[in-house]
Amino acid sequence: MENLPFYQPHGSEIELFERAWRNRLPLLIKGPTGCGKTRFVAHMAAKLGLPLHTVACHDDLTAADLVGRHLIVDGQTEWSDGPLTRAVREGGICYLDEVVEARKDTTVVLHPLADDRRILPIDRTGEQLAAPPSFMLVVSYNPGYQNFLKGMKPSTRQRFISLAFDFPPAEQEEAILIGETSIDAMSAKRLVSIANAFRALRDHDLEEVASTRLLVYAATLMKDGCDPTIACRAALVETLTDDPETAVALREVIDATFGR
Amino acid sequence: MEEYVGELWHKLVTRVADKQHADAAVSLNEISKTAAIYFRALGGDAGLNLSAAPPTRHGARRRWMQRLATSGERVELSWRDGETLRLPERIALFSERGLNRDLYLWLVALSAAKINDDLPWIIRNQTATLTTLERFPGLLPRYQQLVEAMLALRPAPADLPKEEAAQESAIRQALQQPGSIHVLPPSKKPFHPVPLWTHPTPPVSAPSKVSASDGAPERDESDNSNTAKSRRKHAAERTDMPDGKDGFLMLFRAESLFSWTEYIKVNRPQDEEDDLESAAQAAEDMDSMTVARDNETSAAKLRFDLDLPPAGEDDAPLDEGISLPEWDYKKQIMQPDYCRLQELVTQQAGHCELPTQLRRTAKRLRSQFQALAPTRTWLKGQQDGEEIDLDAWVRQEADLLSGTHPDNRGVYRAQVNQQRDLACLLLADLSLSTDAYASDHARVIDVIRDSLFLFSEALSATGDRFAMYGFSSLKRGNVRFNRLKSFDERYDSAARGRIAAIKPGYYTRMGAAIRHATTLLAAQPQRQRLLLLLTDGKPNDVDRYEGRYGIEDTRMALHEARQQGLRPFCVTIDSEANEYLPHLFGTGGFAVIKKPEDLPKELPLLYAQMTR
Ligand SMILES: Nc1ncnc2c1ncn2[C@@H]1O[C@H](COP(=O)(O)OP(=O)(O)O)[C@@H](O)[C@H]1O
Ligand SMILES: [Mg+2]
Repeated sequence: MENLPFYQPHGSEIELFERAWRNRLPLLIKGPTGCGKTRFVAHMAAKLGLPLHTVACHDDLTAADLVGRHLIVDGQTEWSDGPLTRAVREGGICYLDEVVEARKDTTVVLHPLADDRRILPIDRTGEQLAAPPSFMLVVSYNPGYQNFLKGMKPSTRQRFISLAFDFPPAEQEEAILIGETSIDAMSAKRLVSIANAFRALRDHDLEEVASTRLLVYAATLMKDGCDPTIACRAALVETLTDDPETAVALREVIDATFGR
Repeated sequence: MEEYVGELWHKLVTRVADKQHADAAVSLNEISKTAAIYFRALGGDAGLNLSAAPPTRHGARRRWMQRLATSGERVELSWRDGETLRLPERIALFSERGLNRDLYLWLVALSAAKINDDLPWIIRNQTATLTTLERFPGLLPRYQQLVEAMLALRPAPADLPKEEAAQESAIRQALQQPGSIHVLPPSKKPFHPVPLWTHPTPPVSAPSKVSASDGAPERDESDNSNTAKSRRKHAAERTDMPDGKDGFLMLFRAESLFSWTEYIKVNRPQDEEDDLESAAQAAEDMDSMTVARDNETSAAKLRFDLDLPPAGEDDAPLDEGISLPEWDYKKQIMQPDYCRLQELVTQQAGHCELPTQLRRTAKRLRSQFQALAPTRTWLKGQQDGEEIDLDAWVRQEADLLSGTHPDNRGVYRAQVNQQRDLACLLLADLSLSTDAYASDHARVIDVIRDSLFLFSEALSATGDRFAMYGFSSLKRGNVRFNRLKSFDERYDSAARGRIAAIKPGYYTRMGAAIRHATTLLAAQPQRQRLLLLLTDGKPNDVDRYEGRYGIEDTRMALHEARQQGLRPFCVTIDSEANEYLPHLFGTGGFAVIKKPEDLPKELPLLYAQMTR
């Protein structure tokens, strides 16, 4: 029980997750990439003592990939549960990461599970599973990711309660860096200050913003003895932009923070 | 005494002149993009433009500046107002290029600090310095270097008369130990400029002679009292303008054509003018309105505005108009029913075929779009197809083995064009600025016309639902929304006739046009809805719809469109667009076409990229 994955709460999301779980409500977590969505779900699964089945969604994902399929083993057919079915049977958490990446017709299989019916019909076997009380469906997506032809069907979306994540306030993000990498407090502070400077450029000069994940990378490099400027360039600047002039400006921000 | 002062001036001027290092100069052009991003990253207001500071002629410093100017050297200082961050056009103060560049970045950092502008100059700059160094401690060594290099250029207090020496010592100390000086000792002589700090009395904050009691927007006043607005900016905004060297000269020329009273009248919106007016009234006012507009742009444009017949006569309003709100960013309020928009259909258009010179391109685009634009996807479980569907095959075998009856669903994968679920509304700027020449052969309006033709050709090939409208405006009471093709109309010879008949007129009240386009597009059942804006410049109108006001209203309108689930995208030929479009559309939300004549070909391709 004490081996929970480290998670630094942003606000009251832990409590809200527990309430959703107790009341059998499916949960949608939206927020930019690398802000702790996956970590949060892992933490909550461990905290509640539930098995966790994670699916990274992509546009070739079929309903069968989620529900399961017949396999042929030694000339015999054998039904094999998909991660969704497994989570339902076990009464665990099924977490669909980046759910908008999946095609709309795939996410339709979630509908009867995500409303008060809480059932999973398996056409291939004729089975109809009723989800046990402890089963929970969690999906996440990144609304900032602008792909014109992708988005979530309103009929899918309206079945979830939604939790918006963003990058945490400075002190909390510093605590994350320290918790994850044991970096010293001053360096953590400076890294977060750089990240927030870069985040001010969101939607304006940068399409992607510095995620907590990237800060963890930079801190990891620094903790390993890497020069802060080099670590930040590699983990942040070059990851965030290909435009030379933008890169120069970002480097100046790093120099303004760590000196040169 | 006189003689002594003269000698001192001479010393100062030559000192500054001597200290200019042309070969180490850094120009604003070189670093403007970096500087702008740096400014925003350090917390500067993303709505500001960055531009070169014009030489200051103001108050006590005026004589000094003029003296400097006569020696061919100028000291330009930086400042920011509600719309613009101004930086020296060139910095050549130090012999080391790196230091000159550092000075630029320092000025940017300093301007990004959020400091109460009402503080006295000496306090304001020290506070900004402290704030900046605290947030960005890495700047400290560079700051110290700059101060050291700067002090070496300044007159030694020992060489100055008493009062000036005290002042100079205070400035020196404030630079070295920011926060330690609370008042600037008085002196009758102006002090030596401090290029490390912002402008002591930026021109825009000067009390204006033009009274603001009638609610005239303040930018009008500042534009009249000095040339605060960059002249180069104007030149870029209106390509047809002669490269005026002096803003006052332009004012003078405009003034000699029209009486001063007229000029004042049209330039100071009064309450009654601010009321909603009928379209006819507004059209009558057209002449005087354009005068006001041209007073601040160029005399050359005048001629050309007045030659134009009032566009209103050819266009039939479809109804009494639609009331739309407008966002006032200064008050942070939405003003309800503030604009009146008319949907118009031109009466002069006949039917027409695609212009011959476009036919070849159109043909190519059509075939490209038929093959390229619709999403190609693999369908599984087909009876026939290019590949075997292993999944389906295994399933079939398994079903056979397990005795469940197979459903004959086919074991192939086939690639097909999937029906696209897409609607696009194209909104084209038809304001007078599109009458400018885009190249040697074509005006902007011609380029837009060709673009509309080719865009329609391409989109009819995809089968995507689309509509096209043009817009312009003449103050808030008369926003003109020309229907070229509605969603329900076919793209036929009548639609082509309307496209052929588009012509430039009036101004660009973007917010209202976007709001109405949003209503039309949001009513479409398609799941993906693209609002495509085609333009050649910033939002503007003859009333206060200019500069930041217009930008912020447009930004708000776009925000509303996004909230309705629409995706706005802007295609522009304005080479200065990078200064304001990111603020409106975000990176990736717009495209700048470098050569306007490429627009007709680029536009369909952009559309394909966006919706593939
Ligand atoms: N609140 C948090 N507590 C602990 N670690 C975090 C937190 N937020 C982000 N992280 C760190 O950032 C990394 C990326 O987070 P992750 O949950 O994978 O992001 P997301 O799923 O939102 O893309 C994690 O591996 C972890 O190191
Ligand atoms: Mg215009």
